[in-house]
Amino acid sequence: MAQTSTYTRRNFLKGAAALGAAAVMAGCSNGALSETGSAASGGNSQATTAGTTVTKHAFCQMCGPARTHCSTTCYIKDGVWTNVEGNPEAGNNWGRGSRTLCAKGNSAMQTIYSPLRITYPMKRVGEKGEGKFERCTWDEAINIIATTLKEQKEKYGPESYGVLSPQFYAVLATLGRRFLNVHGSPNYLHSAICNSQRVFSRLVTLGGPDHDRANSTVPGQLGKTKLLVVWGYNSENSAINQGNPNGRLNAIEAGLKVIDIRPMRNGLGAHADIWVPVRPGTDCALALAILNVIIGEDLYDHEFVSNWCSGFDELAAHVQQYTPEWASGITGLPIEQIYDVARMMGTTKPMGIMAGNGVGDQQNDGHDVLAAICLIEAITGNIGIAGGAGAGMVMPKPMISTEEIDLLTERLPKSAEDIQNGYSAGCSNLVAPEVPRWFQDEITWETGPTTAYFKGLMSTIDGNPKPLRAVFGQSSNPFGATRQPKKIAEALKALDFYFVMDVYWNSSCDYADIVLPACSNYETDVQFAMKNSADGTWIGINQKIQEPLGESRSDWQFYLDLAVAMGYGDDFWNGDMEACLREQLEPSGISVEELRAADHGIFIERSDGAKPSEPKYQDYENLFKTLPDGKVQCSNSWIGGKPNAQETGTLGFLPTYKGPAESIAGTSELAQEYPLILSDVHAYRLCEHSYYADVPYLRELQPYPWAKINPQTAKKYGIENGDWMKVESPHGWVKLVAEYFEAISPETLMCRRGWWQECAELGLEGYGCFDGGSDVSVLYDSDPANFDQFHSAMSKQTLVKISKLEGADNGN
Amino acid sequence: MATEQLGFYVDTTRCIKCWACVITCKQWHDIKAGTISRRRVDETNGGTFPNVTRTFTSLSCMHCANPGCVSVCPTGAVSKRAEDGLVVVDKEVCIGCKTCATGCPFDVPQYFEMKMDKCDGCLTLRTKEGDEPRCVITCPCKALSFGKLDDMKEAAAKKGGNKKDGSTVPSVYIS
Repeated sequence: MAQTSTYTRRNFLKGAAALGAAAVMAGCSNGALSETGSAASGGNSQATTAGTTVTKHAFCQMCGPARTHCSTTCYIKDGVWTNVEGNPEAGNNWGRGSRTLCAKGNSAMQTIYSPLRITYPMKRVGEKGEGKFERCTWDEAINIIATTLKEQKEKYGPESYGVLSPQFYAVLATLGRRFLNVHGSPNYLHSAICNSQRVFSRLVTLGGPDHDRANSTVPGQLGKTKLLVVWGYNSENSAINQGNPNGRLNAIEAGLKVIDIRPMRNGLGAHADIWVPVRPGTDCALALAILNVIIGEDLYDHEFVSNWCSGFDELAAHVQQYTPEWASGITGLPIEQIYDVARMMGTTKPMGIMAGNGVGDQQNDGHDVLAAICLIEAITGNIGIAGGAGAGMVMPKPMISTEEIDLLTERLPKSAEDIQNGYSAGCSNLVAPEVPRWFQDEITWETGPTTAYFKGLMSTIDGNPKPLRAVFGQSSNPFGATRQPKKIAEALKALDFYFVMDVYWNSSCDYADIVLPACSNYETDVQFAMKNSADGTWIGINQKIQEPLGESRSDWQFYLDLAVAMGYGDDFWNGDMEACLREQLEPSGISVEELRAADHGIFIERSDGAKPSEPKYQDYENLFKTLPDGKVQCSNSWIGGKPNAQETGTLGFLPTYKGPAESIAGTSELAQEYPLILSDVHAYRLCEHSYYADVPYLRELQPYPWAKINPQTAKKYGIENGDWMKVESPHGWVKLVAEYFEAISPETLMCRRGWWQECAELGLEGYGCFDGGSDVSVLYDSDPANFDQFHSAMSKQTLVKISKLEGADNGN
Repeated sequence: MATEQLGFYVDTTRCIKCWACVITCKQWHDIKAGTISRRRVDETNGGTFPNVTRTFTSLSCMHCANPGCVSVCPTGAVSKRAEDGLVVVDKEVCIGCKTCATGCPFDVPQYFEMKMDKCDGCLTLRTKEGDEPRCVITCPCKALSFGKLDDMKEAAAKKGGNKKDGSTVPSVYIS
């Protein structure tokens, strides 16, 4: 079976295109159902004959691989997936009956017909980065991986194996974690650009029973909220059907006031009452100044503070230095606006804060920002009240119960060093702990111990404390998922063994030893999810839209196959995914076959008469019981004075301004040469992180890598709307197309990252991630000494200089 | 005049420019990427930084009371339906001469695959009572409505909205 011909990446792509040509053509011209009016709900029919349309159920994968947020109904005509809509049975978006999808969801068909699909396993025959591969069989590929992992386990210990986590990824969080535990490695390389960062900060400041249930500043009953502060929160971009813009718009119509704190006045932000265009990366200064005003002007809730806050006096003394006058010079905001916002937050009740990725995990002082935001919410007495933070209605129990996949956490070995230091099992063997080793335990982690993605990969270069020897990248492109691709390339070259499994050829595949073809979410039928509501409970499982393309396989099945090859079969259902599924569904009383036959899922109406009920308000004894003294940590005695994640010093007690690695006020000398600030939106409504620039419907709307720039600034540099610009930071340079945009400060540029995928259908190229490419990740600081000391968040802001890029082919 | 004119109500207070309407229209009407768009999201900005307003308006054919495209069409391919007032193109009759595009003040009819193309209010997709156009169904924020023009007028009025201006008398209300 093994092919002897050698493929360069370019040839490979052509080959893949040829393989899928029929499907691609059909996908482009998707013979809409409409014109025949034959959108019959044909059930889960197996065979299709000419002119037949069937509907199938699948979870939309456009907000991430293996996500189960939006249930969709897919229309398949003569075997070709032509159309998609939200499944009205499931309770997406505003509830049952909703058939909404976002722009990405409406383009989903085009993902399975992409010419960038990988269709067979390959092994590298050229140098790393050169992109020369040879086709191999699945058996050979799995044998090479298993043999390597076994040898390395023997030689370097099981902890020498690590996995890249792209974002929350169900395959990795369940089977991947179970595999790590059985193998004996804690090195789950978590991105440190994640909601988890905000969870860590909330947990240690506001408490909560565990990671998943950390107390929040977000209103649980938005209809009762008077003031909502949206702070670096991007719900019109990252996941429109989950971020609930619809609910927010309803609340605005009913009188809710909104303050939007973000560098751009974006889609949903355009409906806010007040826009606060903070300089990217300086939110901590703003948050501390708000605390300064609320405390200094005596706008806080004295009763709450005296009963339920610990260290308030230290906080009050500490924030005296952070005046609005001081913050104005750092944030670029008018002094008066800072006072106004602080006074509104201090005097409007109930008030809630949606603090998003933009502030909590994409700034190198992310913990301090989040801690300060949590404290604003707490000292104003807004925790646990109707319309304030948390305090959502309590939903009746689901009508269906299922079993979660056991992660076999107890199988991760506890070393002598773990015992000696009082660490949870495995924590001594983390090559670069994401949060401090001492902090990682079953209460604080999501699924188990974590190493930080970027720092973990750097272990292969610096060998500190010991290098990872094998890394598995599954649906994650490290060139797009973290910072500084130049350092990542160095790390991948230094790494002994890198294997990749992905639906599409990603730019890191060129550095892999083995590349495996994953089938899409729409070609497997092993993932299910439930949605519970007041009316009842819905459950659905993916149905196969088509058989896996070429030799592509399910990511779930791959883990089982690898486990069997490693000799771990007993812990992995001996490779039988159906057995794994049966185990999960067993308590529901619904069989796998029954669920797979339901092309809109199964809805079980509530028969217990239970209704959503009011929560117990101001239940502070219970809410704060996991915190030291059972109180909100104004001065943090949980983490303060203890070793930081880097083990280079200790963590502070009080939120303190640090700012980005490069900033106008913080590095003013550098700002002489690089006078503008650059950041990016990270998640965007036309892509999934760095993926999907290849999807024609999405790429058509934004063909070129853009930078939003205020016309006033662009004109100063002789840059017209649509011109290519050279954008240089102290760390690298990229080319971007200037897009005139009034709703951004003249000193700031905002971009969208990624762009490594080409779009063949539109004849649009992909762009590189190194100097001269178009991924802004190459512009950012990546010195681990500058990362957040508690949870490893990295700067997503830098200073740049710009010029018109002469001679660029301006197709715009 | 149609006995029961249908039309759109576009609520700009709920539009966040997510483009879901633009793409759903393409997938359901079999329109390839890189060709035409029957629906688009217009943006109007006011002021300068930092006092900027942005308003997003999702628009397609206005299905006007006095459609400029119908009166100029030399073959009678573009017509206004008596029963619901929708303006449609009969592609069997259309010769792709683009004259209708010159008669439309809103740049609606577009040349596509040798014929003129435009929104038909999802006429062929709405096969049963209560069916709505695809853009309305998919909108995550309920910014779009479609139905009897009097109902659209009433919904718009609640938000201080008005009928869209134009010499051709568009069947669209905007708030």
